[in-house]
Amino acid sequence: MSEKKIRNIFIEGAISPSFIADSIAGHSSKTTIGGHSIFMGQVRNDEVDGKLVTAIEYTAYEDLALEKMHEIREEIFARYPLHCMHVHHSLGNIKTGEICLFVFTSAAHRKPAIDACTEIVERIKAELPIWGKEIFDNKTHQWKENK
Amino acid sequence: MEIQLISFGKISEFMESQKMEIPDMSNTDELKTYLEQCFPKLVGMKYKLALNKNMVQTSQELKNNDTIAIMPPFSGG
Repeated sequence: MSEKKIRNIFIEGAISPSFIADSIAGHSSKTTIGGHSIFMGQVRNDEVDGKLVTAIEYTAYEDLALEKMHEIREEIFARYPLHCMHVHHSLGNIKTGEICLFVFTSAAHRKPAIDACTEIVERIKAELPIWGKEIFDNKTHQWKENK
Repeated sequence: MEIQLISFGKISEFMESQKMEIPDMSNTDELKTYLEQCFPKLVGMKYKLALNKNMVQTSQELKNNDTIAIMPPFSGG
């Protein structure tokens, strides 16, 4: 694993349910897998001072984010016996109800798949230089803050 | 000396990405002080720097033509 292969995690626009379904279907031939874990982040219509969030506009420092994601990927593979992991994050305008983050881990057994998936999601939120601008129904905005 | 400044998130609303002529200085701590004088809205804000696409944890040496990214707290996912 010394060869550095930087994968692109970014998708312009929302992540479609059919993309997710195809990703799941693509694993049926990998018969040593016994457990998958999936996390999907969805844009929520939060209410702030009477205004409703209608969309989140995502931007990123893409080069740095992809480098950091590569580091996270290597560390996760070193610590968990995973068969594979897939990460996709949206950029641009994502409407409420649409999927903006898709993390998919697979292993022979459930525990490493679930634990790795959880850790990856937490680290994406804390460590990747990505910003979400919440767009309200009256066209004003505020910058999202991760809790 | 000259640096390439790249700004993100809410910081990009008052600080455009730009090539910037700055007085000669030796490290990123000095640059922070200088930027906070040029852009007073930065004072009291939480932000991190990246120097040539590496996160700055402790002050780093600054050279001519370096690229500095100035980043508010992340909010991906």
